[in-house]
Amino acid sequence: MVIESERAVACRGVHKSYGQGDTRVAALRGIDLEVRSGELLMLVGPSGCGKTTLISVIAGILDHDEGTCIVFGEDLKRMTRAEKTAFRGRNIGFVFQTYQLLPALSAAENVAVPLFIHGVPRRSALERAATLLERMGMAEKRNALPAQLSSGQQQRVAIARSLVHEPRLIVCDEPTSALDRQTGERVMELLRAVAVAPGRSLVVVTHDVRIFHLADRIAAMDDGRIQEVSEAPERSPHPTSGVP
Amino acid sequence: MNRVAIRMLIGDRAKYIGILIGVTFASLLITQQSAIFTGLMWRTVGGIVDLPHADVWVMDKKVQYIDDIKPMPDPSLQRVRGVEGVEWAMPLYKGLLKARLPSGTFQTVNLFGIDDATLLGGPIEMVEGSLADLRKADAVIVDENGAQKKLAQVASDGRSRPLSVGDTLELNDHRAIVVGICRVSRTFQSQPVIYTTYSRATQFAPRERKLLSFVLVKARLGEDPTELARRIEERTELAALTAAEFRWKTMAYFLKYTGIPVNFGIAVTLGFLVGVIIAGQTFFNFALDNLRYFGALKAMGASGRTLVRMIVLQAAMVGLLGWCIGVGGAALLGHLARDSELAFKLPWQLLAISGGAVIVICMVSALLCIWKVLRLEPAIVFKG
Repeated sequence: MVIESERAVACRGVHKSYGQGDTRVAALRGIDLEVRSGELLMLVGPSGCGKTTLISVIAGILDHDEGTCIVFGEDLKRMTRAEKTAFRGRNIGFVFQTYQLLPALSAAENVAVPLFIHGVPRRSALERAATLLERMGMAEKRNALPAQLSSGQQQRVAIARSLVHEPRLIVCDEPTSALDRQTGERVMELLRAVAVAPGRSLVVVTHDVRIFHLADRIAAMDDGRIQEVSEAPERSPHPTSGVP
Repeated sequence: MNRVAIRMLIGDRAKYIGILIGVTFASLLITQQSAIFTGLMWRTVGGIVDLPHADVWVMDKKVQYIDDIKPMPDPSLQRVRGVEGVEWAMPLYKGLLKARLPSGTFQTVNLFGIDDATLLGGPIEMVEGSLADLRKADAVIVDENGAQKKLAQVASDGRSRPLSVGDTLELNDHRAIVVGICRVSRTFQSQPVIYTTYSRATQFAPRERKLLSFVLVKARLGEDPTELARRIEERTELAALTAAEFRWKTMAYFLKYTGIPVNFGIAVTLGFLVGVIIAGQTFFNFALDNLRYFGALKAMGASGRTLVRMIVLQAAMVGLLGWCIGVGGAALLGHLARDSELAFKLPWQLLAISGGAVIVICMVSALLCIWKVLRLEPAIVFKG
C-alpha cells in the first residue's frame, strides 16, 4: 500500500485509441499503474505494446480517452491545454530517444532551454546549465554544438536538459537504443545517479534488458495492458560519482 | 526564447539564405519597378514641377494633360487677371517645334515662351548664363541634357560637342542664339527643352489664330489656391487647376490611356508573387524541418504564444533584412543609372509600399508556419 504523498503518478483504467471506425487501434486498454515518488520505474515490453503512448499520457503530451491519470495530485484530463503545457514545464523533464537537441545551440544552451522557456535570465540559466554539465562530466564540451558531440555525449546533454529545471518526474523514451552497449550502460548509470532523488521519479521506456538491473521496479506491458509489475531482482549499488 | 529563435533560423544556413533571397528579390523587384514607374510618371509632369511659382494653371477646358495644348485667345489673360484673389497672371506658350541644327539635322524640341517683362516661369536652375539674357535678341536658353545629347553640335571633323552659349540654331526657320544653359526635369519623351520669351515664342511657332497655351497664376497671400481656381473657372469659363491638381490630371491621363501601369503592374505583381512563393515555401520547409524541435519545445513547456512569438520574430528578421537589402539594391541601381535615360524616383511612400508588401509576404510565410506548429501534437517527439 502506497500512501498518497509517496505517489507521483496514479493511472486507473486508462484507455487510448488512435484512428476511427474500421481503422481504430487501441493502444492502451485499461492501464492501472502507479509511479512512486523517488523510484525509477522501467516500462518494458515488445514494440507496439503501448509503452510510448503510456508515457506520453503520463507526461501530459497526449490526451487519453478514458480513465484517470493523476500526476502529483493533478488530474491531467481536467486541465486545459495551456494549463497542461505550464504543468509540464514545471514538473516534467524529458529524455528523448533521438535527443532532440537544437543543432544551432551549444551544449550549455541546449541544457538551458527549459530555463529559457520559464523566462530565467540567460546568464543565470547558462550558469545552472554549466554546473549540471560539469556534474555530467561534460564541462569541457559546454560550448560544443550537438554535431560535435558523440551519441553518448549528446544523450548526457539531453539528460542534463531534463534535470535543469528540477522537475519532479522525468520520462525517458528508449534512452539507450541509439547507443552501444557500454555507452548505454554508462548513460543509464549516470541517469540513475543524478536523476533519482527523494521527491523525483523516473519512468524509463526500454526493451534493453542490459539495463533492467538499474530499475527499482519494472512494469511489463503487452497489447496495451500492464501484465506485471515487479521489484527489480538484483540492482547494482548506485554509482557514487556522477561521471561514468 | 528570442535568441533561441534567431539561432534556430540562422543555424540552418541554406534555408535562411533561401528565405532571405526570396524576400530580397521580391523587395528589390517591387521597389525598383515601382521607382521606375514613379520616375516615368514624374517625367510626365516635369513641365509643371519646373514652374513652382504658379499656384494655379489656367487652360482650355478640353486640355487633358500638359502636352495636350489647346490654345486660348490672348484676351483670356486679361480676364484671368481681373479675377479677385489673383496676385499675378502670366502667359505661357508651350509647344513642340522642329529645331534645325547647323549639321542640317532636325530635332523636335519642347519650347516654353515665358512672360517678356517678368520672365516668370523660366528655369529655376541656370548652369551657364542668366535668365535675364533672354532679353537679348533671338535669345534662347537650352536645357543641359538636350544641349549635351540631342542638340549636340557636330564639328567638321565629325566630333560631337555640346551646344554651348553663343551657338545658333534654327527654330521653324527663325534664328535663335543660345544665351544660357539650364537644368530642368526630364520630360516624358526626353525632348530637349528650350526657353524664350512669350512674344519670341509666338514668332517661332507656326502661325495660328490662338497661341496662348496656359495662364500661370499666383494667388494673393492668404488666398486658397483651390478656391481661387474655382473662382477663375466661374468667371472665365476656362479650366483652372492648382499645380497639384494639374499634376494628378496629367498622370491620370497617362495611367488611363497608356499601357505603362499594366506593364509595371505585372512586373510588381510578379515580384510580389515570386517573393510569396519562394519565401513562403522556404519558410514553410524550414518549419517542417524544425517541427520535431518545436515539438520538443512544446513538450518542455513552451506555450503556443511563445512558439508564435518565435516564428514571428524569425519572419520579422528575414523580412527586415530582406527588405533592407532589396531596397538598398534598388536605390543603388537607381544611383548608378542617375546619368542615364532611366526614369527612377524613389520617394518614401515607395519604401513604405515595398515594406508593406514584404510584411504581407512574411505574414503569409509565418502564418503557414504557425498553422503547422500550433496543430503539432507534442507527442511527435517520442516518434523518433
